[in-house]
Amino acid sequence: MQLQELIDSAVAEVGKVLLGKEPQVRLALCCLFSRGHLLIEDLPGMGKTTLCHALADVLGLSWKRVQFTSDLLPADILGVSVYNANDASFSFRPGPVFTQLLLADEINRTTPRTQSALLEAMAEGQVTVDGETRALPDPFFVIATQNPVHQSGTYPLPESQLDRFLMRLHLGYPDPRAERAMFQRRQAPGNAREGLQQVISTAQLAAIREAVREVQSSDNLLDYLQRLVAYTRESPEFEVGLSPRGALALLGSAQTWAVMHNRNHVIPEDLQAVLPAVAAHRLVPSGDYAGDGAALVALLQRNVDVIRP
Amino acid sequence: MKQAEQIPRNALVWMIAAQFTLLAPHLPRVPIWVVAVSLCAALWRIMVYRGSWSFPRWPVKLALILAGVGGILLSFRNLIGLEPMVALLLVAFALKVLEVARRKDAYVLLFLGYFVVLTEFLFSQDLLIVLLCLCNVILVTTALVALHRPGDERFSLRPLRSATAMVLQSAPLMVVLFFIFPRVGPLWTVPLKSQSAVTGMSDFMRPGDVSRLSRSGEVAFRVAFEGEIPPRSQLYWRGLVMSRLEAGTWSTLDYYDVPADQRRPPLPEVTEAPLRYSVIMAPTQQRWLYALRYARSADTGIMNAADYRLFRPVVIEDDFRYTVESWPAAELETELSPWRQRTELALPQGRNPRTLALGQELAAGSDDSQAIVDRALALFSEQSFFYTLEPPTLPAQDAVDAFLFGTRRGFCEHYASAFVVLMRAAGVPARVVAGYQGGEINPVNRTVIVHQFDAHAWAEVWMAGRGWVRVDPTSAVSPARVEFGLEQAVASEGTFLADQPLSPLRYRGIRWINQVRLRYDALTYRWQSWVVSFDGTRQMNLLQDWLGQVSPLRIAAVILGALALALLPAAVLLLWRRPLAALAPHDRLYLKFCARLARMGVVREAGEAPGSYARRAAQAVPRLAQSIESITRCYQQLAYADDPAREAAALQREMQQAVRRLN
Repeated sequence: MQLQELIDSAVAEVGKVLLGKEPQVRLALCCLFSRGHLLIEDLPGMGKTTLCHALADVLGLSWKRVQFTSDLLPADILGVSVYNANDASFSFRPGPVFTQLLLADEINRTTPRTQSALLEAMAEGQVTVDGETRALPDPFFVIATQNPVHQSGTYPLPESQLDRFLMRLHLGYPDPRAERAMFQRRQAPGNAREGLQQVISTAQLAAIREAVREVQSSDNLLDYLQRLVAYTRESPEFEVGLSPRGALALLGSAQTWAVMHNRNHVIPEDLQAVLPAVAAHRLVPSGDYAGDGAALVALLQRNVDVIRP
Repeated sequence: MKQAEQIPRNALVWMIAAQFTLLAPHLPRVPIWVVAVSLCAALWRIMVYRGSWSFPRWPVKLALILAGVGGILLSFRNLIGLEPMVALLLVAFALKVLEVARRKDAYVLLFLGYFVVLTEFLFSQDLLIVLLCLCNVILVTTALVALHRPGDERFSLRPLRSATAMVLQSAPLMVVLFFIFPRVGPLWTVPLKSQSAVTGMSDFMRPGDVSRLSRSGEVAFRVAFEGEIPPRSQLYWRGLVMSRLEAGTWSTLDYYDVPADQRRPPLPEVTEAPLRYSVIMAPTQQRWLYALRYARSADTGIMNAADYRLFRPVVIEDDFRYTVESWPAAELETELSPWRQRTELALPQGRNPRTLALGQELAAGSDDSQAIVDRALALFSEQSFFYTLEPPTLPAQDAVDAFLFGTRRGFCEHYASAFVVLMRAAGVPARVVAGYQGGEINPVNRTVIVHQFDAHAWAEVWMAGRGWVRVDPTSAVSPARVEFGLEQAVASEGTFLADQPLSPLRYRGIRWINQVRLRYDALTYRWQSWVVSFDGTRQMNLLQDWLGQVSPLRIAAVILGALALALLPAAVLLLWRRPLAALAPHDRLYLKFCARLARMGVVREAGEAPGSYARRAAQAVPRLAQSIESITRCYQQLAYADDPAREAAALQREMQQAVRRLN
């Protein structure tokens, strides 16, 4: 159907502001279609925030942005109850979390206490303040950006919180051609981002999510998935393997990826396409192993046979 | 330290456990302080693990080494010899535990552990010891396995399971190597066992001393007869023949004591069928063998001495098996040479005057040797002689006089010695024979078990026309000793195995203990005759039976072939377990397709998905691009899409044809 074209045009629309990052944009869309939260990790100034803005525009979502700083408090995100002297009652003033798309900028610059305030919102789609539970809007996404952990002034996200992000993306430096185009556009009049249009309506988003649910995963594919998962748990290079939640995340993203490529069944390439983004931040190398999560994913992908047990 | 270099807690536990089980079989022969050193070393190592203490520094280590060597020197008086060497090894093993900080140290320790297991066989090859050593091998292997499971912080039995499986898997190899690997002689020899370890007979006899020998419950040898077992009272196992009496001590004639022309005994005429039997004797550190009267052995390396006993030029240091033929009725040495006559009549000058007088008195009546013997035996049975295991000691001077006319209490050695002196005094050639009498018949496997307490001494008297005739003066005093054995003979005295409270022989009255003992003895006999006595000669015979001609090439071929045979079951099992058969038809077809492409130089990587492989292959082999594409499409449909069965069959056919056309 036109689904693939729809997605292609959405990618192209985002590409107007974020040049030369098509794979990351596709993965980011895949993450949002899979009802997952997205973590973008890179150095400052690489276009993390730009990507968020663009995604929000293209999907036509209401969005709010919170800049995380070291003195940010949970109430600053969730909202506070304010005493109203006129009628002697408390009224709740919702925080920025009550939106469809929350951009949590530089999430690892704030304290763990504030980070964990996001936990319930991300996991349950609801927020509890003063003992009262309030639901968040239906499509609720968190796109968080973080600076690499080794930079100063950062609190690394704990594994439990990392696990709640479906994917983690790196943007990386743009290639020279894209960068040149960016420079040229800078000289052109007007701000490019304001020209972004909504490409995918809320109804279409719901339709995509519906299609994802119908995607089939054959026994052969589930075997391959299980071999992958088992390898991370048994091989000595891995200190921490993939949890069942991680395995489910992998399968769900692969299903979305299949839908995005006009298929009603998952093939191994789908798993392999989403594997680095889904698995790398969940895997911890053992003390003997020199590489990081990405190297582990490469090792995993290289060593697990797709066909043969 | 990197994690790979660390020793997991679990491995340390197994290592220390192995340290003590390795020590256990050596306990009877190492000084008690070696155990204390082991305990302290283990404790120290545990404290190091807990972080309370630190590893010893080099001055401490040096002091410990010197103290260990010094202790061995003090305990054994020298360092050369088997026991001190093994004790040194055990001390070194214990101290090495204190040095195990990294994985490579643990390797040294554990490989040393295998060597320590081996040393036990230098002392004993008993069945139980072999089982214990097998357990030790498993335990050392367990520690080795645990060493390779980093991060195993909690105690776990899983390494034990793996190690047991590994050792059991190697059992067929072990059996093969045991039977065919060439027995290489030792490259060097050390003085093996010290003399203190010897149990059994000595080659001299002083009847004045109290014998310790008669009370030990150890097995001297086991005999398996081919036919009927002769009655017990006929089982006189000759070991030593003592013809020389000097200063109250009986001793044997050495090979060179005999004149050169008489070193080979005159062969007696034998007419009747011989008794055939095989003997497996415990190591004695001596050269003589035990056999019934007039024995010949066809085995190589067994010789007949001039006085018709068997001996072996090589000291018997291990369990030794030999086969014998015996003719109990044969007449031995019917003609006595002048030298022999002189030797067998010789008595020390001026000793035992009253016995000499009594002998001459006995001889006065007649010239008939048989009559003289009868009268002497009558003397023993009619007068008040007693059979006892606890006789009073006799004076060194004129011991026979003191016995015959004074104490009159003694056991076989006293009676044999006194009887022979009496005979020689009466002019009848006579000599003492030492050996074993009787034995216990094991109903389980019909072997005769001869214990150390069956040791006995009797006399041989030469009679004209009949040769050497056996006379047992003890039977005149205590017929029960010969008919029923030592236990019955001293039943009233209560001295049977009095100093061995734990010997199972003491509890023969309890039926099940006796059953277990006899069954275990039968098992031991089988073990000895099949495994322990399988030496280079028997191996050579076996190989000759199999191969015809034994050449290095053939031995190598047999070893390799047998190894292959032994490993075959494991290989079959591995193949069997490999779930190749579980692959669906389309998977097999796809793998076939991959194999075809691999032959064209495009090998699928393990992690390569069908789609990406197809793109790569199509680039590498453009002329096949179309078939590659269609096969991959079919396969992806079959493997990953849930298509209706009818369509699947069509796809399968299409794919099959495409793969067949692929060339």
